[in-house]
Amino acid sequence: MSAAWTVFRKELKDAIRDRRTWLIVLVSSMLAGPLSLLLLSTFISSVEESAARREVYLVGGSSAPTLVNFLERAGSNVKDAPADYREQIKSGRLQNAVIVVPADFESKLAAGESIRLDVVHDDTATKAQPAVRSAIAALRGFNRELGMQRLLARGVSPQLLTPLEIDEVNLASSQSRGAQLLFLVPWLALLGAVVGAISVAIDVTAGERERGSLEPLLMNPVTTGSLVLGKWSVVALCSAAVVVLTLIGFRAAMLLVRSERLAALMQFGIAESALFIAMLLPFSAMVAALNMLAATYGRSHKEAQTYASYITMVVNFAPIVPLFLSIRDAAWQLFVPAIAQQTVMMRGLRGEAVTAIDVLLPGAIALAVTAIALLAQARLLRNERIVFAR
Amino acid sequence: MIEARDLAKSFDARVDGKRARIVAVEQVSLDAADGRITALLGPNGAGKTTTLRIIGTLVRADRGSARVGGIDVLADPRSVRAQLGALSDARGLYTRLTGRENVAYYAELRQVPRAEFDARLAMLAELLDMESLLDRRTEGFSTGERMKVALARALIHDPQHLVLDEPTNGLDVVSTRALRRLLLHLRDAGKCIVISSHIMQEVEQLADEIVIVAQGRTVAHGSADSIRAQAGTASLEDAFVRLAYESGHESRAEGRK
Repeated sequence: MSAAWTVFRKELKDAIRDRRTWLIVLVSSMLAGPLSLLLLSTFISSVEESAARREVYLVGGSSAPTLVNFLERAGSNVKDAPADYREQIKSGRLQNAVIVVPADFESKLAAGESIRLDVVHDDTATKAQPAVRSAIAALRGFNRELGMQRLLARGVSPQLLTPLEIDEVNLASSQSRGAQLLFLVPWLALLGAVVGAISVAIDVTAGERERGSLEPLLMNPVTTGSLVLGKWSVVALCSAAVVVLTLIGFRAAMLLVRSERLAALMQFGIAESALFIAMLLPFSAMVAALNMLAATYGRSHKEAQTYASYITMVVNFAPIVPLFLSIRDAAWQLFVPAIAQQTVMMRGLRGEAVTAIDVLLPGAIALAVTAIALLAQARLLRNERIVFAR
Repeated sequence: MIEARDLAKSFDARVDGKRARIVAVEQVSLDAADGRITALLGPNGAGKTTTLRIIGTLVRADRGSARVGGIDVLADPRSVRAQLGALSDARGLYTRLTGRENVAYYAELRQVPRAEFDARLAMLAELLDMESLLDRRTEGFSTGERMKVALARALIHDPQHLVLDEPTNGLDVVSTRALRRLLLHLRDAGKCIVISSHIMQEVEQLADEIVIVAQGRTVAHGSADSIRAQAGTASLEDAFVRLAYESGHESRAEGRK
């Protein structure tokens, strides 16, 4: 045990003096997380603004005072559309719909004839969609109001026209709508765990052999188990440090977030942070051990990098698989590392209940994989073929 | 006291991209007494490094046995390592650590008390003329400078047995002299020292006992004088060439029958 402690302190000093360690810690945790969150929030708040402004653009609004009056009563801010509105919508400068009113609007209205209105918009402009929807909804409101007045004037109950009364009840709580975008948060934290482990893991295994210090190290009267344990502690610590810094980055970004809606949607308070830490620390332990094991097989730094990158790839893609297959929370997910962590953290973000099993089972599996990987590595270091890279 | 009896070792290795069976050691024996410097002398590829790795417990012999201070290397490798100071073929340092930190790492792994470490490092630094190297990071050290740190690292626990694989490789004259001074000092202190080398002059100057190894076999052993007498030549170099190359082939051929 004292040998493992010695190895830990030496490897920690070595890693701290390595410029690469700091580059990875700073770039991955301090930039990647908050930056992506800020992008998301900018996106959300601009959607929010265009809906909040409730602007309705009309062409030929002066020929339809009844419609303008209705829209203004409903709280819309009616504006004349610019002359080149088609180009502006296409190029994305105008993030809204434009309602084209015919010149004979009022006369047709008075005659009780049907009036054709064009609503010009771009389906692919995601940010404009809330505004487009509210413009169309406003027109439907006008339809309904006028229709009802006409029926009543003729002594017919408007209920005859609406046998179905449709009320949308959206079960996605406001938190859960936010979590659709925020799948990025646990995913980036998982990636942070791998990225934090990878370079140190290679340095203490393949790097040790490549610089010719493995052979003399193994001639010390200590077990390979304590060497592996000491080295792994440093790799796991680096991985956990990147995770914690990434989470701190998210918290900091939350404070900078402009959108109140995002702040309300995304639950990332103390409880969620604690859940994330509880899910991610065993995960860090596991990826540290696996990266070291993979890198031990590498005959050189470069070969080790190739093997370790397989692990990165798996961790990259595994959490996305259930998303693509639109599987939601099946029991098996708790048994598969990376997917389990992603699933449970997403539940936390969505504000759903997280049970003790949800935390303990993936954690126990990660720690079991860690133990197996460390034992395997201690054995490998007693294998001449590995030590001398034959 | 280091003894090796009839060691044999072969392994698979990559040769020109293909895996091939390599017979590294076929039959090597040696006896190295305390207070003596024993040199394994042989051409490149004779099996010197593998023999020293077997003694250093890094490699398991297929046949034969080796004992260090009376302890069998297979039975109790950790006790063997505890009383062994080894300079291996690979002698890499940690380039982000200073010379002192490199040595201190091994001292801690071997649980050398702090005060003893300081005194011992001061002594080694003086003998090896390396005081100026201690507080510099080892990145960019010359071969000689690296060897001095590696040697100090191997000797910091004051081992009774020393196994040094080609210790003078890449050293300049000044460093070689410093090393020789140190080894003679340690020998006179009663240590058991085994070095390997393919350089005749060095062995002749330094070794009390010479073991000539060729193609995986011990072909002669004894003092320089007795080897010269055995080969019937006037110089050790002639004796070496005759024993290592000529009788080496004969004995190898016999071994294959």
